[in-house]
Amino acid sequence: SQPLAGGQAAELQSKVVPSKQIIHSNNMEMEPETMETKSVTDYFSKLHMGSLVYSCTSKRKNK
Amino acid sequence: RSRMEASCLELALEGERLCKAGDCRAGVSFFEAAVQVGTEDLRTLSAIYSQLGNAYFYLHEYAKALEYHHHDLTLARTIGDLLGEAKASGNLGNTLKVLGNFEEAIVCCQRHLDISRELNDKVGEARALYNLGNVYHSKGKNVANAGTHDPGELPDDVKNALQKAAKYYEENLSIVTELGDRAAQGRAFGNLGNTHYLLGNFRSAVLAHEQRLLIAKEFGDRSAERRAYSNLGNAYIFLGEFETAAEYYRRTLQLARQLKDRAVEAQACYSLGNTYTLLQDYEKAIDYHLKHLVIAQELHDKIGEGRACWSLGNAYTALGNHDQAIHFAGRHLEISREVGDRSGELTARLNLSDLQMVLGLSYSTNNSMMAESHAVENSLNGGRPRGRRYSMENMELMKLTPEKVPNWN
Repeated sequence: SQPLAGGQAAELQSKVVPSKQIIHSNNMEMEPETMETKSVTDYFSKLHMGSLVYSCTSKRKNK
Repeated sequence: RSRMEASCLELALEGERLCKAGDCRAGVSFFEAAVQVGTEDLRTLSAIYSQLGNAYFYLHEYAKALEYHHHDLTLARTIGDLLGEAKASGNLGNTLKVLGNFEEAIVCCQRHLDISRELNDKVGEARALYNLGNVYHSKGKNVANAGTHDPGELPDDVKNALQKAAKYYEENLSIVTELGDRAAQGRAFGNLGNTHYLLGNFRSAVLAHEQRLLIAKEFGDRSAERRAYSNLGNAYIFLGEFETAAEYYRRTLQLARQLKDRAVEAQACYSLGNTYTLLQDYEKAIDYHLKHLVIAQELHDKIGEGRACWSLGNAYTALGNHDQAIHFAGRHLEISREVGDRSGELTARLNLSDLQMVLGLSYSTNNSMMAESHAVENSLNGGRPRGRRYSMENMELMKLTPEKVPNWN
């Protein structure tokens, strides 16, 4: 390494500027969040499927 | 009335279609139009609120996301829809986490977990555990970032939060392994690895990220693969295995280029620059720091540019190229002033005065005298350099105590 800086000055600076603050760069790579999902069709299919199936079959029967 | 219901449903269906296609912005307009039209079917309304919340979450508009997930939660409770309440609580928890409200986030995610267990919903339980792990991880990282702690020297509250995160990720892992959900295992391994990294358990971090890498390759998920390489590089730095770290960072860089992600490419170059500094290969370090500098300028990332100049100043100093060192130290000073970085400004000033002194001395003093004074200084400090060259200082520390070095990643 290069000869630089006296000990006293380095002491002073190491208190003021911690080394990791300067070179810190938070690049830890996290995984994505998972969100819970709802859908209008989920509910729609559960609730209306009976009547829908009924109307379709009755239409077919009518034909 | 039925005409209105149909129109609300149609608008919501179009919103769903657009969000699934990846156009959340357009999806939001349709959902908001659906809300405007209104419906008396509270379950449909709950689904619309939930999707609006998620769309705003993905658009990074967290205040709006919070508002809609909160509406959804209230509605789910009103109609006594327990599964709906669990989902809304989980989403609210994730949103509160991003907003930094960790205590409320924990309450919400815990509610998601409790209901899932009550309903014997294993998938929901696993997802709630993952979310709880994420909240504790963020909480720990947030507190740690506020201070200036090195890994392994964490305050108790940070350590507690990170250990809880690890515990939740492990609980999640045991369920998703049982369920055979490989994608969920991949996510848990990645975040578990990062939690071990922050705790200073670098060997455990490597093991977890290796599993993450394996699963990413299974799925052909190149983004996840790149994340794993980068995280493996970080862990190997702290294990003092710089050659291995460099290899993983090179793979990160290769994938970043393939994926055409300039910000990630810049980060990989920066990491490689630092790694070659640790390997004392300053020519290669300069090469990568210059590549980082070019992209930082292209992306108008002033902080990154300042960091590049600081690193370049150090590397040129190490090579004895004081003219270039002064040039970059000067740029570092200018940028630090511009972005209001007081610490950076002070460092740059001291670096500049050091360099000016060295240049001044080189005209009046011979090198052997300087080498001699440095040897005296070293012996006074127990052989450890105590100069202002922090990267050098880090490198020495890493040789002495590979598991306890400042976190420059």
